[in-house]
Amino acid sequence: MSANFRNAQGANKRKTYFLLVAMGLLTWVVAYAALTYFGAGTTTFVVPLAVGISLVGVWGSYYGSDKLVLTMTGARVIQREDNPELFNVIEEVVIASGLPMPKVAIVEDSAPNAFATGRNPEHALIAFTTRILEVMDRDELQGVIAHELAHVANRDTLVSAVAATTAGAIAILSDFLTRMMWFGGGRDRREGNGNPFLLIVSLVIMLLAPIAAMLLRSAISRRRESLADATAVAFTRNPAGLRRALETLAGDSTVVRQRSNAVAHIWIESPLDGKSVSQLFATHPPIQERIETLRAMESLGPNQ
Amino acid sequence: MEIFVIIGVVALLAIFVVAQYNRLVRLNISVDEAFAQIEVQLKRRADLIPNLVETVKGYASHEQSTFDAVVAARAKATSATGVADVSAADGMLTQALRGLLAVAEAYPDLKASSNFLSLQEELSTTENKVAFARQFYNDNVRALNEAVATIPSSFFAGFAKVSAREFYEVEDPQSREVPKVNF
Repeated sequence: MSANFRNAQGANKRKTYFLLVAMGLLTWVVAYAALTYFGAGTTTFVVPLAVGISLVGVWGSYYGSDKLVLTMTGARVIQREDNPELFNVIEEVVIASGLPMPKVAIVEDSAPNAFATGRNPEHALIAFTTRILEVMDRDELQGVIAHELAHVANRDTLVSAVAATTAGAIAILSDFLTRMMWFGGGRDRREGNGNPFLLIVSLVIMLLAPIAAMLLRSAISRRRESLADATAVAFTRNPAGLRRALETLAGDSTVVRQRSNAVAHIWIESPLDGKSVSQLFATHPPIQERIETLRAMESLGPNQ
Repeated sequence: MEIFVIIGVVALLAIFVVAQYNRLVRLNISVDEAFAQIEVQLKRRADLIPNLVETVKGYASHEQSTFDAVVAARAKATSATGVADVSAADGMLTQALRGLLAVAEAYPDLKASSNFLSLQEELSTTENKVAFARQFYNDNVRALNEAVATIPSSFFAGFAKVSAREFYEVEDPQSREVPKVNF
């Protein structure tokens, strides 16, 4: 398969749908396990409650994501006068993408990194650390901006909110149910299935579901990163700029001194994955793999 | 019972027709918008030129023919209308500006002046914006032309009064030239 940006965009979008469907199925399986273990009385009460708590928690932060992330990362919104050259490069990519002009913010940090957030393109915000503006030349910066605006164009704040809601609901549900088991739960077990084999299977599902949900959530995040790389190339038609930017990021071992792990996944280069035990839980694909994909696009020539 | 089925089928058909119609009209409007963006950026570039010419003149007053070429190309570019005309004038002006910047290369004092440096940054970002505006326009034309030519949207093109549009192609003699190879 030729790896041009259009194919790459299509493939990553399809994989996201597949993963989101898998998450929906997982929720359904957990609810079914609860039904088997506890019977209808408890389940009809607990499942909507868990989904409700998760919805309120995640969608509140989704709606105010541009403001919330500002406080969590310590980013400061800047105007055109503060850095006209940066605004020039951003305006160029904005024209290429057809998106509205986002808000621009700066994070005082000695690690080169960048992120995008906001519930829709009209409320988008892209932020850069002071260091990334020092180390990158114009083409590299253009690639980074294109990657961030690609997140905006692909509505990745929404996608990750959906993933977070589902994973959150599953985690809360599993937590409730296991607690209920220890504290004299299963009062209405008579309603439920009496088959001991099915009971054990349900128990295992309830215990393992949160881990499975986290794996799916990380997999979705990785697909959205690859998609953003491909969309960035669609904007600039210059894979070399982003590729060199990623090489610079890969070569720099300093990580963002962030205030909260909760926003680790939004940066262009993950500040956590270096320490991650397993790649399965990583929010970003390995940076070498991203570089190789972009290099393959470069070899196709300027007109793809 | 049958009556509900018939109403349902008719309603679905109506929704389908409306969706196809709206999609074509929307694609057509985005092509117009994208073209307006090219014109905005070309206007910005044209506005930068008098200032740039004056600055270069201050250091290189005897390069009159280069200045004349830029001024003439700018006049043509500001008066052009329609995709074909605008793109032809755009190509000529790009060529003339390249000549002007090549002249500037020969004058170290000029190249070091802060006025020239800020103009050069403005000009290079505007060049990029023009290029991206063209690319965005062509992407939109591509989407529209695809919709006009493929089933089922092609059936509704006449009804929506939407037809295939012209791509924006820059007449740049330099990019057309076959590179000379000597063995």
